[in-house]
Amino acid sequence: MFEKSLYDLIRGLRNHKGNEKEYIQNSLKECRAEIRGQDMDLKATALLKLVYLEMFGHDMSWASFHVLEVMSSPKYLQKRVGYLGAVQSFRPDTEVLMLATNLLKKDITSTSPIVMSLPIITLPHIITPSLALSVLADLLPRLTHSHPTIRKKTIVTLYRLALVYPETLRPAWPKIKERLMDENEAPSVTAAIVNVVCELGWRRPNDFLPLAPRLFELLVDSGNNWMAIKLIKLFATLTPLEPRLAKKLLPPLTSIIRTTPAMSLLYECINGIILGGILGSSDDTTDGEEIATLCVSKLRGMIMVEGDPNLKYVALLAFNKIVLTHPYLVAQQEDVIMECIDSPDISIRLRALDLVVGMVSSENLMSIVGRLMRQLRNSRSLTTEEANQRPVAGMIVPSADSDDEAPEAAIKPDRGASQEPLLPDDYKIDVISRILEMCSSNNYGYLVDFDWYIDVLIQLVRNAPLSRGTSALDDPDTNTKSVSSLDVSENIGNELRNVAVKVKAIRVVATRAAESILISMQIDNSSSLTSTSGALRPLAWIVGEYPTSLESSESTLTALLNIAKSPAPSEGLIIYLQAIPKIFAQISSDDRRPWTPERKIMTSLLMARIIHTLEPLAMHPDLEVQERAVEFAELLKLAAEASAGQEASSDDIEQDTPLLLTQAIPSLFSGQELNSVAAGAQRNVPMPKGLDLDEPINANLTNLLRAVEKAILTEPDQDDFENFYHKLPPTVPSVNEPTVNRLEGQRLGGPEEAVHSYQQGSEESYLDPDIVARRRAERLERNKDDPFYIAPAGSSDTSTPLHSILQGNNGPDLDLDAIPIMQLNLGGGDANVGGHSPPKKTKVSKARQRIQIAADETLGSGMSTPRNDDSETSLEGLQRMKSKGKQSVLQVDSSYVGAFSLEDDGKEGQIDFEQQQREEAEMAKAMKEVERLRLEMQRANERIQAAQGVPPEGTIVKKKKKSKPPTNNGEGEVVAVKKKKTKKAAVIDEGCGEASATAGVVKAKKKKKAKAVGMDEPQQS
Amino acid sequence: MINAVLVFNNSGQPRLTKFYTQLETSVQQRLISEIFTLVSNRPAGSCNFLPLPPLLASSGTSHTSSSEHNDTPSLVTYRHYATLYFIIISTSTESPLALIDLIQVYVEALDFLFENVCELDLIFNFEALHTTLSEMIVGGVVIETQLEKVVEGVRAQGKVAKRPVNEGRGGGGLGMAMGGNFAWAGR
Repeated sequence: MFEKSLYDLIRGLRNHKGNEKEYIQNSLKECRAEIRGQDMDLKATALLKLVYLEMFGHDMSWASFHVLEVMSSPKYLQKRVGYLGAVQSFRPDTEVLMLATNLLKKDITSTSPIVMSLPIITLPHIITPSLALSVLADLLPRLTHSHPTIRKKTIVTLYRLALVYPETLRPAWPKIKERLMDENEAPSVTAAIVNVVCELGWRRPNDFLPLAPRLFELLVDSGNNWMAIKLIKLFATLTPLEPRLAKKLLPPLTSIIRTTPAMSLLYECINGIILGGILGSSDDTTDGEEIATLCVSKLRGMIMVEGDPNLKYVALLAFNKIVLTHPYLVAQQEDVIMECIDSPDISIRLRALDLVVGMVSSENLMSIVGRLMRQLRNSRSLTTEEANQRPVAGMIVPSADSDDEAPEAAIKPDRGASQEPLLPDDYKIDVISRILEMCSSNNYGYLVDFDWYIDVLIQLVRNAPLSRGTSALDDPDTNTKSVSSLDVSENIGNELRNVAVKVKAIRVVATRAAESILISMQIDNSSSLTSTSGALRPLAWIVGEYPTSLESSESTLTALLNIAKSPAPSEGLIIYLQAIPKIFAQISSDDRRPWTPERKIMTSLLMARIIHTLEPLAMHPDLEVQERAVEFAELLKLAAEASAGQEASSDDIEQDTPLLLTQAIPSLFSGQELNSVAAGAQRNVPMPKGLDLDEPINANLTNLLRAVEKAILTEPDQDDFENFYHKLPPTVPSVNEPTVNRLEGQRLGGPEEAVHSYQQGSEESYLDPDIVARRRAERLERNKDDPFYIAPAGSSDTSTPLHSILQGNNGPDLDLDAIPIMQLNLGGGDANVGGHSPPKKTKVSKARQRIQIAADETLGSGMSTPRNDDSETSLEGLQRMKSKGKQSVLQVDSSYVGAFSLEDDGKEGQIDFEQQQREEAEMAKAMKEVERLRLEMQRANERIQAAQGVPPEGTIVKKKKKSKPPTNNGEGEVVAVKKKKTKKAAVIDEGCGEASATAGVVKAKKKKKAKAVGMDEPQQS
Repeated sequence: MINAVLVFNNSGQPRLTKFYTQLETSVQQRLISEIFTLVSNRPAGSCNFLPLPPLLASSGTSHTSSSEHNDTPSLVTYRHYATLYFIIISTSTESPLALIDLIQVYVEALDFLFENVCELDLIFNFEALHTTLSEMIVGGVVIETQLEKVVEGVRAQGKVAKRPVNEGRGGGGLGMAMGGNFAWAGR
């Protein structure tokens, strides 16, 4: 057979460009055959090839037994391949691990240091509690091995052992501590210990406080920057427990900050000072201030350094920590931080984003949000083409290109330069949620201009990344991600709803915003909004809840009906179905208008359309949808009958509008106003007595349902009806927006690019033209009595001669509106540069006074705040618990160690371990004894049976014996002992004694009598 | 601690995968491709830290971690040398800047062992990548940062072979990119 080395495999791969898949499959087949052979060389080579292919995602778990075989090879190089195979391919469910224990123990005790280190470096990857228990005894002596490499590797491996089996630390910790205290220990071993202590330190800082003097000594004297970094990190977790430590640390840390040329050390010093709470702890305030200022100025310097983005990044990280305790210090650095928000580097942006959320105030909210909005607007999403080009998650096929990729490297930079950076959707979602978070924080406390906020929300709905709900269903792993992207669109809608509910003054504006989004979705198919968008639900709720604020109820209703007809998820349908009759009620309930023939026809047509939309939904698989559709359809049918029965008023006879329309239906929806309820208020509702949720509501439910199923009628065909009503009406021009505005919007579309070149700060750069146009119109309206406001030409006939000349000469492309005008503001002191912020500001402060933001309602209003908080924290706690249950992919769980105390690490621990070992030895001895007795007994029994002939019961007993020990009483107890291996020595002794006693009796008995054992035994004992 | 060390080239082909936790092969591959997507879209002059890939970010600890330290991997550090990306995923107990230096030491060690190393050397001798790494990191904890000690440790285990002579050599070695631009003074 043709044999291939790893070299051949790789070269083959490189030569099979295009059909690597086939080549790999063939190679895998060959490996399968080779690894099963007897030749150890061949086996090892095949394994190495498999490990190589595993790197590309080709599963090799089937080969785990062969990995073991290669591991046990006497040749070092083959052994090394075997251990590599174990590291790369063993998984928690690999069963052969049990078989490996002895091999590992043997190799750990090998005489050669290089062989010895193989199991030591492999153990962290494959360790289990039981494996830890069995190798611990062999590993411990390695801590004092003459080779420093072995010592440091062993220390780390013991740490990983401790993570799954905390008892490791009892015998190991004193020895590790001894190493640490030893001044003559090799520096790299000390460094490794410090690394391990740093990992353990944050879990149980208390246990490491006694080490502080030695650690301090190492920090000051060692001169090893790597170790110093770790020591500082460790001290940062220790200082909160021991305030005196802070004082002691301050001088050396300050001197490092002042003198060190190593940026990493400098950064960690600052970080340590922040995290360790040294900034705040210092009694001498001038001292504390001095060090804080020093830190902040160093950090500022790091951000300002040109050409090193890494320093920028870590400085922002540090600011993120300082902002929690010293927000004012960070606020001083607003200028540099805001610059980072627009950095082309997403990592830096994200960190800066974290920061601004903490820095936000009513003064800077609008400018920060403006910056973020501009980012969202200018970024483009991945086109589908690009998305397809991306490597698909999953298997990566190794291909042959690897020599020469210089051209690609050369191309890369100008991709970034030519266009705005591609923002991944995750980032956009993040930005959007931050915007919402900032604006809504403190119950909208920082928000001064709600009109602006609503415009921002409209813009956000348009910019929200497309949800990919459908693709998520195929891939369960990505579910969480797409759920969050669905959420973000819904969150925006929810914000709009919250504003509409909480801020009465702005309700009309919010409702109209919702209305315009719903209607524009019908007209403009290109927009990112689809009927599956989560934003539609809260929007539909708003228009349904406040129909009187609608500009055009009819077109809103049409829009809703169309949405309900389109394939929408059932959670959405539930809400649309509720909103439709609410708006209908608003349209038809007017009892002042006479019941004219036109009105009668209009109303009945409207009802027919609604009924037609609702009826198919009566068969919807979702019960809730079904119920609402049936309810409202039936109600409207009644109303249709009533209005058909009511004669229209003619010229002579005045007829009343049917009461069902004017009174009954509206009364369903008009009642008390809905207020926002605090999250968790529901939990404060006391459980009514006598409520049993487990009790079936109707015991006969299944029968009822079956009866209904039989009775389902086949609906008559309604094709004509369908054609007539189901078609979308020809696109009606949006009624809610004056034509002037729309024209202006179009006009704005052209010069927009020019605009934001010199007017970066204005809203034009992040709001869509139509929104800007509307804002402008509103502003005009507001300011028309303001003599100091120079109204832009074109919107009124007071255009100045200068303007007309300019317009004549320069053509219509020039947009004077876009040129910022220095605003004269005589009233307010703050004459800002920039088109329109001053008038807005004055208006805003007035508006601010009158705007009332309702607080969330909760139960027990007398003590609302504390209870509210209470319920919220408990909710948070719940969420935290939930999130705790889910671990991150790469996470190594060290929580076991946290529960383990090192305090009593002295002799007692030693004794414990030794005692345990002794116990185990005893247990093993006892087990052997029991087994020996059992065998003896069995043999005796067989002898007796053979002598006596074969009584029927005897055979049965014999058969049973093969699978499990005899069932008599005394031995039953022994079996129990065997199962509970961990029982205390005393118990074992007892059991043993009993067992041997019983066995003795049995023996004695067997000589006398030849009968089945089980029968007589109980009487004897 | 360090949760994973990855090496892949400019087209996302893995050259070394080392996870310090046991992970399904398919999950490993997904993580690699997610990180590659992130890393290959970095504009020139970006910092060496990546935002968390979706697979790691889903646990949602990136922003509002209440306590400073925890076991969740929160830092993805990378460096780009000629045709290769070196990536380290770690928790918050590691220092970000020190990790950049650590990658540098690793590459310098490889360069020393292979004498002007290039990607081909690492493809054909991927075992040496593992051996060298295990002299520096064991079980996710850094055990050695001194170049000489690392090289010595690898050499003690046998000779490190160069790639076969007849394989063509394209472009310069990784050493080319190891200029002083990132070497923190006083390491």
